[in-house]
Amino acid sequence: MAAGVAAWLPFARAAAIGWMPVATAPMPVPPQEKRRGKDGLIVLNVSGTKFQTWRDTLERYPDTLLGSTERDFFFHEDSNEYFFDRDPDIFRHILNFYRTGKLHYPRQECISAYDEELSFFGIIPEIIGDCCYEEYKDRRRENQERIQDDEEADPGNELVSADLSFRESMWRAFENPHTSTMALVFYYVTGFFIAVSVLANVAETVPCGSVPNRAKEMSCGERYALAFFCLDTACVMIFTVEYLLRLLAAPSRYRFVKSVMSIIDVVAIMPYYIGLVMTDNEDVSGAFVTLRVFRVFRIFKFSRHSAGLRILGYTLKSCASELGFLLFSLTMAIIIFATVMFYAEKGSSASKFTSIPAAFWYTIVTMTTLGYGDMVPKTIMGKIFGSICSLSGVLVIALPVPVIVSNFSRIYHQSQRAEKRRAQKKTRLARIRAVKSGGAKAYLQYKRSRLLIGPDQEASKEAGQALVCKTNPNFEVHHHHLLHCLEKTTNHEFLDEKTFETSLREVTLVKQVSRSSSISSASSPHGFTSCCSRRKRKTFNVPNSNMSVGLQGSIQELSTIQIRERPLTNSRSSRSSLNAKFEETVPLNCEQPYITAAVISMPTPPGTTPEGDDSASSTDYSQANIVRVSAL
Amino acid sequence: MLTMNLEGLEMIAVLVVVVLFVKVLEQFGLLEAGYDDSVEDELELSAVRHRPEGLEQLEAQTRFSRKELQILYRGFKNECPSGVVNEETFKDIYSQFFPQGDASTYAHFLFNAFDTDHNGSVSFEDFVMGLSILLRGTVQEKLNWAFNLYDINKDGYITKEEMLDIMKAIYDMMGKCTYPVLKEETPRQHVEVFFQKMDKNKDGVVTIDEFIDCCQNDENIMRSMHLFENVL
Repeated sequence: MAAGVAAWLPFARAAAIGWMPVATAPMPVPPQEKRRGKDGLIVLNVSGTKFQTWRDTLERYPDTLLGSTERDFFFHEDSNEYFFDRDPDIFRHILNFYRTGKLHYPRQECISAYDEELSFFGIIPEIIGDCCYEEYKDRRRENQERIQDDEEADPGNELVSADLSFRESMWRAFENPHTSTMALVFYYVTGFFIAVSVLANVAETVPCGSVPNRAKEMSCGERYALAFFCLDTACVMIFTVEYLLRLLAAPSRYRFVKSVMSIIDVVAIMPYYIGLVMTDNEDVSGAFVTLRVFRVFRIFKFSRHSAGLRILGYTLKSCASELGFLLFSLTMAIIIFATVMFYAEKGSSASKFTSIPAAFWYTIVTMTTLGYGDMVPKTIMGKIFGSICSLSGVLVIALPVPVIVSNFSRIYHQSQRAEKRRAQKKTRLARIRAVKSGGAKAYLQYKRSRLLIGPDQEASKEAGQALVCKTNPNFEVHHHHLLHCLEKTTNHEFLDEKTFETSLREVTLVKQVSRSSSISSASSPHGFTSCCSRRKRKTFNVPNSNMSVGLQGSIQELSTIQIRERPLTNSRSSRSSLNAKFEETVPLNCEQPYITAAVISMPTPPGTTPEGDDSASSTDYSQANIVRVSAL
Repeated sequence: MLTMNLEGLEMIAVLVVVVLFVKVLEQFGLLEAGYDDSVEDELELSAVRHRPEGLEQLEAQTRFSRKELQILYRGFKNECPSGVVNEETFKDIYSQFFPQGDASTYAHFLFNAFDTDHNGSVSFEDFVMGLSILLRGTVQEKLNWAFNLYDINKDGYITKEEMLDIMKAIYDMMGKCTYPVLKEETPRQHVEVFFQKMDKNKDGVVTIDEFIDCCQNDENIMRSMHLFENVL
């Protein structure tokens, strides 16, 4: 959490008075107010450059060098200041971190020097603010590649895809072929068929050798009409299926239908269907032949397979204004020169410049320096104007082209950066989630430590806290007390995500078991089979509190069965969280107050048990848990 | 058949020419493609800067000492360099203390409670006055403040709907990962309990006198009022 808001913690705590009249339970005791140290200025002398700041500012981050007692090692009695023999330019950024809560990375500094300073002052680089994080990561990676280290930054775990519906997963498969092998296969198959279709289109117009009863040569399309027709049918089948699947899977069908790619798809397969409908009608078959031209649009379907094509298309779209200007200036020039050429050549006999529109053709061919030679001026005036026309053509066309090129290069680099950012987004999301869950875990840790000590042992609280966790900064303690007050106000407790999900799974399982069978069944296998047989019964309301104890027993039973079958997956998934938590010295004892003191309230949710230790001990523990509960 | 072919292709050629013509017209600026240069964005309301009253005045109006006011102002100005908090920033700051849930609704009510002159922003004076009541005020004043917070439309009565809104806002702050699992009717039940306790004459609303009377008779509430006294 940004410690800039640490200054607002008193406000948040004061605002908590708003909950007090609503709360039904008594509030927890606030933590002891530590005796406030002298609120004074501290002078930091870094290689001659003096920095000054408040003591409180530095103490916002007690796990860094400047915020903890570690800085006393650098205290210089003679000048009554803290002296550091480090780089003052980089130190500026480090001090700004204390002030604003955001760590920035200066682009002109060397990445390894910066890293060294960060590690000296005990600041982890992961808290670099989002504005500078990409740059930092880029430079770091470059650096590592340069020193030939094989530390490929792995972009975190895959996003949890457990709760994607079939439709959403299909859409994802279409958009990113690399997500699954099925998607990749589909991608390559469609690409292959696009190529085949385009080649067939091209090949069927090639002359294929003459047949005796025909005067001129037949094209391959007419000779092997049936083969080409079958090929075309197959391709169109595939394209139709693909289009329908995409339409089905699209999250917003209306938007999909409007998109360019879908229009291209439709235009690519329409001629075939229209042809099927209209083969017998002689009059319209001419138009049908024209429609075949549209089959060439199938080549545009390749743009899904090629990022470069998409970039080109996007460039052209974004350069629309430059292209428009080019077109406009060309049109102006064409009209001017065509008019001049027409009137210049009017006099000569048998001139091809029959009208101004006819002269357009000459002007375009000349301005683009093509010069086919089918229309040539014969008069002297015509030749003079013709040469002026070709010279100006070169100029007019050459001007907007560099603009388009620079646009293309800018967009290309942008897309490259977007790719990089997308790859880093996963890391960033994982980071944010880790911080969030870390905060929740720290709070639960705090609560267990408080419960362990008990509310009436204030004196030994300091010792207890030191025992269970590292020195809690003052801010954290107060923040946890605030969250505890909120819990007491609402009579609900905070859980972290994993625990919540496992407990949710158990609750849904309970809903499928009927009441009587669960209470009567003592041993686990029997209970489990009865639960399976009665799975069809959907109508089952959650029991009231009287039955809750017995049902909790069944939950425990089911959960042990569950735990035995699932411990591997559960622990594997929560492995990262296990590593993130620090050692719980007394987990078992912590749970005890919940169980023994609570006859009416619910016993410990079974979800927490697999999290505490590794799988083996958890099953033993949950067995022990069962014994206690059923004894009640 | 040849003529038919030509006609079809000619149509395409005509279409192309028409499209080009439209583009040329666009170049003329006759068919603007909707380029709205929002000039207003340039003139951002950067004129909102606020300087608080002098230290002596604030010292006289609140129950904080000079040093405490200094500390408070430094923290305030750090988060809001312009000197005033608007509702968005307020919600942002408050939400950082409750990462698991959604604190924005409750922050909205809090904002209204602090913004005593209802001008849409909380200045340092509003902030400090509010804190002065909450941290250094008498129990009567604190209860008054709490009543003011619950009374959303400031008409002097707390109705069940208002209380339900507040209750839902508080429960929203818990988030969804709670134990026991938050149900839909939990806030409503809590409101019923609250009204049973507070509404003495059972007329469906809680007045300020009923509220203060009832709170003063409740030991838990009285004790919790003194909880945050040494916060600063």
